Amino acid sequence: MKFSANWITELVPGLAVEPRELGTLITTKTAECEGTEAYAPFLEQVRLVRVVDVKAIEGSKNVYATIDAGPLGMKNVVCGAPNCRAGILAAWVMPGAELSGGKKIGKAKVSGHESEGMLAAGDEIGVNREHDGILEFSEGTPGERLAGIVPDHVIEIDNKSLTHRPDLWGHHGMAREVAAITGMALRDPVPQVSWDGAPVLKVEIEDTELCPRYSALVFENVTIGPSPLWLQYRLEAIGLNPISNIVDVTNFVMAELAQPTHAFDADLLKGETIYVRRARAGERVRALNDEEYALDEQALVIADAGGAEAIAGVIGGRPTGIHEGTKRVVLESANFQAASIRKTSSRLKLRTDASMRFEKAQDPRNTVRALARCWELFQVVSPGIRMVGGLIDNCAPMKDAPVIRLELDWLNRKIGRVVERGEVVRILRSLEFGVEEAGAGVLTVTVPSWRATKDVSIAEDLVEEIGRMIGYSSIPPQPPLVPAAPPAASPEREFQYALRLQVAAQGFTEVYNYSFLSEERAARFGFAEAEHVHVLNPIASDQGLMRVSLIPRIVQNIEDNARHMGEFRLFEIGNEVHKDGAGAAGGARAASGDGASDGLPRQIPHLAAAVFSKEGDGQAGLFELKRLAEVVAPGVEVERADEARGFEHPKRVWRLRWQGEVVGRLFELHPSQCEAGRGAVLDMDVEALYRLKPAGARHKALRRFPVSEFDLSVLTPLREEVGVVRSLIVRQGGEQVLGVEFVRQYTGAPLAEDEKSVSFRVTVGAADHTLAAEEITAVREGMIEAVKAAGYQLRM
Amino acid sequence: MSLAVTLQELKESALARIALATSLDELETIRVEAVGRKGVLANAGKEMAKVAKEERAAMGQLLNAVKTAIEAALEERTGAFTAAALEQRLDAEWMDLTVPAPGVKPGALHPVTQVQRYLEEVFTSMGFAVLSGPEVETEWHNFDALNIPPTHPARDMQDTFWLEQGNLLRTHTSPVQVRGMKRLGAPLRMIAPGRVFRNEEVDPSHEHTFYQLEGMMVDREVSIAHMLYFMQTLLREIFQREVTVRLRPGYFPFVEPGFELDIQCSLCGGAGCAVCKQTGWVELLPCGLVHPNVLRAGGIDPAEWNGFAFGLGLTRLAMMRYGIDDIRLLQSGDLRFLNQFR
Repeated sequence: MKFSANWITELVPGLAVEPRELGTLITTKTAECEGTEAYAPFLEQVRLVRVVDVKAIEGSKNVYATIDAGPLGMKNVVCGAPNCRAGILAAWVMPGAELSGGKKIGKAKVSGHESEGMLAAGDEIGVNREHDGILEFSEGTPGERLAGIVPDHVIEIDNKSLTHRPDLWGHHGMAREVAAITGMALRDPVPQVSWDGAPVLKVEIEDTELCPRYSALVFENVTIGPSPLWLQYRLEAIGLNPISNIVDVTNFVMAELAQPTHAFDADLLKGETIYVRRARAGERVRALNDEEYALDEQALVIADAGGAEAIAGVIGGRPTGIHEGTKRVVLESANFQAASIRKTSSRLKLRTDASMRFEKAQDPRNTVRALARCWELFQVVSPGIRMVGGLIDNCAPMKDAPVIRLELDWLNRKIGRVVERGEVVRILRSLEFGVEEAGAGVLTVTVPSWRATKDVSIAEDLVEEIGRMIGYSSIPPQPPLVPAAPPAASPEREFQYALRLQVAAQGFTEVYNYSFLSEERAARFGFAEAEHVHVLNPIASDQGLMRVSLIPRIVQNIEDNARHMGEFRLFEIGNEVHKDGAGAAGGARAASGDGASDGLPRQIPHLAAAVFSKEGDGQAGLFELKRLAEVVAPGVEVERADEARGFEHPKRVWRLRWQGEVVGRLFELHPSQCEAGRGAVLDMDVEALYRLKPAGARHKALRRFPVSEFDLSVLTPLREEVGVVRSLIVRQGGEQVLGVEFVRQYTGAPLAEDEKSVSFRVTVGAADHTLAAEEITAVREGMIEAVKAAGYQLRM
Repeated sequence: MSLAVTLQELKESALARIALATSLDELETIRVEAVGRKGVLANAGKEMAKVAKEERAAMGQLLNAVKTAIEAALEERTGAFTAAALEQRLDAEWMDLTVPAPGVKPGALHPVTQVQRYLEEVFTSMGFAVLSGPEVETEWHNFDALNIPPTHPARDMQDTFWLEQGNLLRTHTSPVQVRGMKRLGAPLRMIAPGRVFRNEEVDPSHEHTFYQLEGMMVDREVSIAHMLYFMQTLLREIFQREVTVRLRPGYFPFVEPGFELDIQCSLCGGAGCAVCKQTGWVELLPCGLVHPNVLRAGGIDPAEWNGFAFGLGLTRLAMMRYGIDDIRLLQSGDLRFLNQFR
């Protein structure tokens, strides 16, 4: 929202604060100023002049004009405007001026003649957007400055910081803040009007919840034409486009009082009644922006006997709008429910100056004030205009102003310093709150109507009013008194962080991936669309699903990085989202940090890690990941998975079992998923890892008697797994077997082509004596027997 | 020939051979032949019986002297050979350590993880618990409980990703305020770092997925003055220097009063420059005193308890700390970028 510093100064007479400083004051006490910019500073070098003589220039459409600049003397300028003619009053830009965009005006030869400065069109000096001719003034003295068209500053306030302040969507509201900040008086621009005469128009409101108040006036003998230039200039400065006198006044009053109004051509309205009602399904309105909108039954419309003529609070209709020939006007000034306007505006994707204001919950007491101000200005811009009948005002009972009990001691404790009672009263009154004494240290505060629609309702709101006006910088920081207790532990979080550190230490770099997945990608990995939680309003269609697995994005990471690197390792710890949430234990609960199940989808943290290598047969990467699994889950075991998913190498996929539970999966990507080389992927359930992680270790007494070792080499078929043979030996062991360690496996001569030799080193011992040779032999014999019974040969 | 002469000859012959020996093996052969149990010296010893009684002592001394001399010579030569052999071995073991070490270099933690961890440690040291909350949230926790009713325009301010069954992707970490109050009760100090989502187009400075850190303190007496003190202390720890802060009004439905906290621009020291848009201040974080409705939603009685809350932009802090100028890099998975943070 743009504010004119000149306008604010008119409402706070005598205000003598530099505009930039004003911006800073507003920022620190009211709302965020995004910047203050000089508007049309070059107007210092613009004067009203009378064109006294115009000569044609041969071979040019330009003319050579002599102008009377009063005390500044007679000057000559070259002008290309078709309306440059003797007798008119025009705006002369003196040599030396610099216009917007850095355009410098000087003495220059144009079309063979010396031109001292130039005569300005509206768009050249920021008055309006006209460029078809030079500006013409109806009155004034040559040599003087342009009346009401003087250098200004535009203070731009961040709209977001005005969300809760319906009153600050007009200059009067902002001027009230400035007056309170500077301790000056605020001028109310609204004249006192006595509304005589009977209403000549009926208003029927279908639902006063949606439209608590509808006020209107009817005018006749209206002349439509351009607004006075000072009015156009004011609108242009704050970014509103001047259109015509009547429309410009409605915009001017909206920018001043924050109350949007709308002017209908009364002769184009059908019947004598205005209806404020919900739209009929499919009802259409051709709006002033020349778009046609199809409405549903939730939209509120302003209708006449012929149907909807305007979208209430959002935009007027073209067919009943003001046009050049308009003679009679119905001026609407209504109040609409903020939520309803917000919904309609967002459904139509149409945000207008009016809807932006109404959705902030405007003050219903403001409608008639806006009418009074419009009536005053209409008489200026359309001389001869007459009001027909009196005020039309259909109003639901208005709520009483909220009254808040404010305890000064409580206020001081909230702020953290003492604010004197007199100061509190002064501040609240400067913001036009009603203040009454209500006993020792207590005030009764009445909220003004423009702050009562949603902004101020409880004592905490008053803490803000007092705090911002005394200035937060006046509050000395103070250390809080807090219990000297250690914070509640977050063991799951600590576990996850330790995991990150461990994985990174093993050579893996952490990536963050999006939680979204496209349907196409989910399908490529064989995850059924139905098992996903869907995003109802994704930004792009490739972000429509919540990931049920980290793997698809990890594979994407592999593809992307393989373009730059021959070998790399990466990992992510992030949440899988699973649909089967309601009542399910685990995921959502552990992750949410509280015991309640909210019917949320299960969100399970997973660790996904990958090793990629352009070279090699892929085994090294799988072993690296196995090692990583053993680091994060000491003692984890791999077991061949019975079924490979489509993206998994059918002969290289394993489950990871820890403490009897499956905690993850380890596989090589199917060659079709990883054409650049070999990609190995580890996927582990972090929640399970946390749950199963062993309690702290306990010390066991060191062994007192020496242990013995012997080797066993077993001949097996080539595809027999070492783990299978080893567990056979382990099972046979008994309590004297302290360890069975894989030493090596061997293929080649002198072995047969279809066999291999697998060697283990067995460690045996006892807690209470040194094993005798016969005892060791007995263990060894037992193992050999078991190996033979399983169909293997021993290699001697 | 007298024994004395024989011994003398034996000695000289052995010493001569020792001097000429070229290897340890050769020395060993000499040792066995000269002073071994069946060696020449031992044989000579047997002659001792034939020596006259009165000469025997002298002869015995001579025998010992010869033996000692030979052994000393052997030892010296052996030592020389061993030293030479060791020297040769050491020389042969010259190596080049400029060759890269085998094995894998450590990976890197994501820059946001690193900044988050740093902040968690700062907060923990100040007595704050670190909490988590679900990324898929209920509408109630994300909005209603935070004093943002369905009709509130603040719901426009945050473009929300909506999921099935009325759930959503949390638009801020603030819902963990309510979960935290329910879990810990009053008094409490907590932070909640995590991933949040906004339905926004992605460009170099906007992401639909980013990271925040929510903070909250609830106690009997909590004032704006306390919050100011705490924020100054915290920011000094974060930036590792004294920072000047200012509070100005800011609107967030879950706090009342609400503030924007600015820090004085470190580039111009407050004089005004391009970075701070000539204001001398840089907007850093929103904060405020907890709205009584939010305390109620967390099961805490606002008549007895007060609190302040704040939100830090983790993503923004990480970008500031590491000088990252394109937010999209953070979620790119690009190891050329991520490996810079080892």
